Amino acid sequence: MSPVEHAFSQSGLLAKILNGYSPRQAQIDMAMEVELAIENKTSLIVEAGTGTGKTFAYLIPSLLSEKKIIVSTGTKNLQEQLFHKDIPLIRKAMATNAQIALLKGRANYLCLYRLELYVKERGQLDAAMLADFVNVRKWANSTTSGDIGELVNVAEDSGIFPYVTSTVDNCLAKDCPHIDDCYLINARKKAIDADVVVVNHHLFFADMALKDTGFGELIPKADVVIFDEAHQIPDIASEYFGEAFSTRQILDLCSDVIQQFHTELTDVKQLGKAAEKCQKTAQEFRLLFNHDPERGNWREKINLPRFNKAFKNLKTDLDFLYQVIKLCVSRNEAIDNCFERVVNVLSKYEIMANVEQSGMSFWYETTRRHVVLHLTPLSVADKFNDYIKDSNAGWVFTSATLAVNDGFEHFSDQLGLGQATTLLVDSPFDYLNQSQLIVPRYLPAANHPQRAQALADIAMPLIEASQGACFLLFTSYRMLNQVAEILAEHIDNPLLVQGQMSKRKILDEFIEKDSAVLLATASFWEGVDVRGDKLTCVIIDKLPFASPDDPMLQARSEDVRRQGGDPFSEIQLPQAVIALKQGVGRLIRDVTDQGVMVICDDRLVTRPYGQVFLKSLPDMRRSRNIEKASQFLATLTSKNLTIEKE
Amino acid sequence: MFYLLEHDENAAQANNNPDKHYLSLLHSCFQAAHFYRQNQRVFIYCQDQAQAHQVDELLWSFEPDSFVPHNLVNEGQKNGAAVEISWQVPTNRRPVLINLTSTVPNFAHQFSQIVDFVPSDEHLKQNARERFKAYRQLGFQVGNQPASSSQATS
Repeated sequence: MSPVEHAFSQSGLLAKILNGYSPRQAQIDMAMEVELAIENKTSLIVEAGTGTGKTFAYLIPSLLSEKKIIVSTGTKNLQEQLFHKDIPLIRKAMATNAQIALLKGRANYLCLYRLELYVKERGQLDAAMLADFVNVRKWANSTTSGDIGELVNVAEDSGIFPYVTSTVDNCLAKDCPHIDDCYLINARKKAIDADVVVVNHHLFFADMALKDTGFGELIPKADVVIFDEAHQIPDIASEYFGEAFSTRQILDLCSDVIQQFHTELTDVKQLGKAAEKCQKTAQEFRLLFNHDPERGNWREKINLPRFNKAFKNLKTDLDFLYQVIKLCVSRNEAIDNCFERVVNVLSKYEIMANVEQSGMSFWYETTRRHVVLHLTPLSVADKFNDYIKDSNAGWVFTSATLAVNDGFEHFSDQLGLGQATTLLVDSPFDYLNQSQLIVPRYLPAANHPQRAQALADIAMPLIEASQGACFLLFTSYRMLNQVAEILAEHIDNPLLVQGQMSKRKILDEFIEKDSAVLLATASFWEGVDVRGDKLTCVIIDKLPFASPDDPMLQARSEDVRRQGGDPFSEIQLPQAVIALKQGVGRLIRDVTDQGVMVICDDRLVTRPYGQVFLKSLPDMRRSRNIEKASQFLATLTSKNLTIEKE
Repeated sequence: MFYLLEHDENAAQANNNPDKHYLSLLHSCFQAAHFYRQNQRVFIYCQDQAQAHQVDELLWSFEPDSFVPHNLVNEGQKNGAAVEISWQVPTNRRPVLINLTSTVPNFAHQFSQIVDFVPSDEHLKQNARERFKAYRQLGFQVGNQPASSSQATS
């Protein structure tokens, strides 16, 4: 018996730390494959259904290997759970001295220099910001990690954080007076010395694409790299291997140049003129786009004469600004910094002007005041595959939702993992008895005026039967708001609607308030973990296909079509299947969880591709009779009542 | 072409379903699956809405590997799915009719193939004999063969 097998046996390490542990073949299978990948330095893709115990299945072989390990997770919450709970538990059982480190992105660490600056030149602060600032200062005196996640009394999205953390642009790096106490550098040093480093995907790929330089790479080289929640990786990787050009960069640069002109470089009249001109042109460029924020295809836009001309004007003014700043170089540090930035903006401009480049998606995104042009590679497969080959490490990709129609091609093609071993480990849950999948009959078409009313009519009896342990998830805000309005008139349950407050707050309230009903868009359910009878019913208004207007999706589809493929079955369908699997995963988290999934989209029944969904989802009991859902939910709530009475 | 399917008495008892129509419904689903795999669009004609719902529920509960896309009349896309279940006159042309009613529908001649069932219940069997004659009068070649589970999976 190998050490890994032994660890999972009746007399092994897990039996020591877990009450009532009994070995499960699925978990052991996964652990053995992970062990092989580590030993042979190969890649492994594992779908481990909810409840398999995949965390232990990758942690134990990793720790037993005594190699340098990086574990990357989807969210900061998961990072903390691994660092504070799961890994220490195993470490204790193994009685090893393995050192663990938690490494987050730059924006998560207090910057002493920025804090000091802020104390000095603190301007107008509203009451809330002031209170937050007081809390930050108090905490700053006592923290050892500098991780702002420790600050429980300041809201995650507080406006204070940009002032007390650094960015690549404003970090002084080697010239910083606080470099010896820098929390980011210290966290990195710890990571270099540690045996296990816990990071998140965003940090991993930002680091890999060298998008957060200043100190070189943050994440040390490792022998084993493990991605949990790996289904998120393809999108995140594409994001970091792309480029962006934004009018905000230009406006910020111009205002800094103007400030220099007004303070130190008053003799260079051209500075003010050039910057003001550039500012105006950048604003005019934004005005060419629709007033409301949108996303679209930049290749199409740049070929329209109006856009082409405005974009060229921008280049003329940026060039002029560059020439003027160049004359001032080395007069002071601030203007040198501006020079670097204008060079950078110009190089990004060139990228966005050359839309002929193939294999890339050129798209734009507007906010109220700005335009951002994006270049995103359609595939990161080659780059990622090269990286893996050069790494000389074992790689593990795992998630509860990776397979579509029992296959992994959809995932492995995106990352160039054709050589990887794959493994599908079933969930130990009894979905047939724990859950139901209902597609109601006679739904009005998606664009029918009675659609919202019909959805509300379906939802109301279910909300009553589940006593509010209910999520309603929508693919459009329009439908979300219409249904919310109807429900508000007809039921007394508190309604928590996405957009009213932050995601975290909404979830907290949902768990706190007994009869609350949550209405949100479908993207909401990723990373949601509501156990037991707090969530017994999920209603989805439509199959979660990505919007056909999405420029990234259009570009990828075009690419697939050019290669003679079918974009629907190769891109949209797998994406929607994974999204729906995530949703089911939210509903059933435990062997005792029970629940109903109602999908108000008859395409699941009427279209041939319904089969792909059914084959990829857990085997829930299916029905088209919505009353069965209410009955099932009613038995759950009555069961709970009897338990409470006992 | 048109098949008559005779039920196996034992199977009916083994199934132990109180509904004497149940086996007909089940076999209508097997037949629908069979024609779907051959790319033939099917119209399942039911006695009433309740029966249509029963057929819908049965088809929906098939194993994912035997999935049959279907719709009830008045739902789904305009031209209907591969299999349409209805208790009303058909509104689009399909080659195959599966009849679950006790009489021959007056639109039967629109179809090139008809599937019908002879239940073991005496009274229902008598109805089936009447239909048998009616189909023949309409000019269909009538054949019959026992329904078996092997057919169900083919």
